[in-house]
Amino acid sequence: MLVGQFPSDLEIEGRQTVLILLAQIKNISNGIVVGQPDIWILESAEKLTSWQGISNVIISSLAAAISFLGGLYGVSLIKPEFRARNSVEVLLLAGLAVCSVIAIITTIGIVFSVIFESIRFFKLIPPLEFLSGTVWNPEFEGAARAGSGQEGRAAYGSIPLFAGTFLISIIALSVSVPVGLLAAIYLSEYATRRVRGTVKPLLEILAGVPTVVYGFFAALTIAPFFRETGVLLGLDVASESALAAGFVMGIMIIPFVSSLSDDVINSVPQSLRDAALGLGSTKSETIKKVVLPAALPGIVASIILAVSRAVGETMIVVMAAGLAANLTANPLDAVTTVTAQIVTILVGDQEFESAKTLSAFALALTLIVITLVLNFFALQIVKKYREQYE
Amino acid sequence: MLELGEVIVNCADVSVFYGDTRAINNISIDIEKQSITAFIGPSGCGKSTFLRTINRMNDTIDSCRIEGRVKVDGEDIYAPSVDVVPLRAKVGMVFQKPNPFPKSIYENVAYGPKIHGLSNNKNHLDEIVEKALTRAGLWAEVKDRLHDSGTGLSGGQQQRLCIARTIAVEPQIILMDEPCSALDPIATSKIEALMSELSAEYTIIIVTHSMQQAARVSKRTAFFHLGDLIEYDSTDTIFTNPKEQKTEDYITGRFG
Ligand SMILES: Nc1ncnc2c1ncn2[C@@H]1O[C@H](COP(=O)(O)OP(=O)(O)O)[C@@H](O)[C@H]1O
Ligand SMILES: [Mg+2]
Repeated sequence: MLVGQFPSDLEIEGRQTVLILLAQIKNISNGIVVGQPDIWILESAEKLTSWQGISNVIISSLAAAISFLGGLYGVSLIKPEFRARNSVEVLLLAGLAVCSVIAIITTIGIVFSVIFESIRFFKLIPPLEFLSGTVWNPEFEGAARAGSGQEGRAAYGSIPLFAGTFLISIIALSVSVPVGLLAAIYLSEYATRRVRGTVKPLLEILAGVPTVVYGFFAALTIAPFFRETGVLLGLDVASESALAAGFVMGIMIIPFVSSLSDDVINSVPQSLRDAALGLGSTKSETIKKVVLPAALPGIVASIILAVSRAVGETMIVVMAAGLAANLTANPLDAVTTVTAQIVTILVGDQEFESAKTLSAFALALTLIVITLVLNFFALQIVKKYREQYE
Repeated sequence: MLELGEVIVNCADVSVFYGDTRAINNISIDIEKQSITAFIGPSGCGKSTFLRTINRMNDTIDSCRIEGRVKVDGEDIYAPSVDVVPLRAKVGMVFQKPNPFPKSIYENVAYGPKIHGLSNNKNHLDEIVEKALTRAGLWAEVKDRLHDSGTGLSGGQQQRLCIARTIAVEPQIILMDEPCSALDPIATSKIEALMSELSAEYTIIIVTHSMQQAARVSKRTAFFHLGDLIEYDSTDTIFTNPKEQKTEDYITGRFG
């Protein structure tokens, strides 16, 4: 509408100018005046302001009218035979259904967009190369890969990334599983009610610490500590090492393991402990031979959930493990993980169409599949376990 | 006065407290060896609590405290030097709700002998398991599926499995806390028949809220009320000619 008001002698130099002018007018009408605008621009701005005023009036009177009419309609509905409760129920039901559908659709949407982008990636890079290549180096995209087969061509072998993820997860698990499990056994079997009441919430606070905090703890405290210890022992520890990242990640997932395992151990019926004690088992025999085996499926499930946490963890790795896609089993080297690579690929500017960017989707897809499978197994085990005790 | 044969459990002035509340008041009672003694009384009167003092299962309850003296086989089981592990092997327990371990039938029975080192080779362990299951009247039903889970058996079979598990460690005394209250009449009659058989070798103390059951299986009966031992006599006397008014009221169904 406003554009129609522009002076006819104004040379329209294409859409761009019109947009700029419009923006200028809007700014002025909002009270932001830059420099000495043309008279006609000021006039337009005034017009815009008055239009906005009018439209505000129209909008509010419309709203008032609608609510008034709605109110009338509502009042007219109130009759003895009108079952308000039923309609409210239906409305509530619809609202709840819509919310859950939104959640499901969003998830499906995300998965599909990842799948479609991955398909585009796999058109550029054969899946076999992606899944079995041992070199990850997306940085050389500029040197056209379709070209002369020159050196420095980008490589998209994801094995080093998954190996790095695996290595760090193993280190994290070897910290968190023993500590978490023993803590759970202590809490559920030995601790007095008071100790349990204080320690358990404390442990759960650990789970609430943002991972970025763990990340800089790893990068600034643990990694230098490991490097210096390494120097003392005559070992060559990279300043960003899988060990530091894995160790801190292990600390991060201790509360997952301990809290879930503690719940599982607690849900082993007291009658089983009584049976074992009644047969003359000591407390530790009861725990080792009866309680833990009975709780084992649940414990395994909690460990699997912890693994999928570790696999998906990003911040700690970005900050402490480095970004070098080394294929190594040496925990003292720098490695990188799938999630950390996704971050580096997508941070900074690059064309959306490039194989490098698309590779993030392929990585994400693989990661989603892995964690889905892990969670599926964990839930399956938990379900079996529940059935065992009704 | 009640004439007893050889006495295996001797309790003198036993009181049990949960925190500050007294659940058992100064009970003194002698239990005859190799016979069945029933504890009856309205629920909440302390039968289970008293039964659990005999193998010190009350130790597992933090708030529980006991006064007085309990002797098993002439030995004071609350003396500081006593180890509860061999005590509980000697005084086995069967619980109200069947509680087999979520392990195979075989492993359920072999559990006790294994932890007590009663057997050092597989063949011997197999023998122990077979013998215990046979004595519990379960062998014929499970011999083809020893390695199936014990929790897959019916309720009555599970309870007999628990009895087999208990007798596999060769106890002298078996404490049974309402062992049939979760079972149907057929399973109950099987367990009762089993108890009568076992009483030739074992001393059995059974808590029951079913007076018919006490009358059917036991030789002696003790009637508890509100933490007191009201009357203790031969089962016949208790059910036909009780001396205490409370006992008579209870067995004739006037309260409880
Ligand atoms: N673990 C416990 N903690 C506190 N009080 C208990 C506990 N177990 C039993 N009691 C109390 O002791 C009394 C006797 O209980 P119990 O021995 O189970 O009776 P019964 O087996 O004859 O039904 C009851 O008043 C009961 O509330
Ligand atoms: Mg009871």
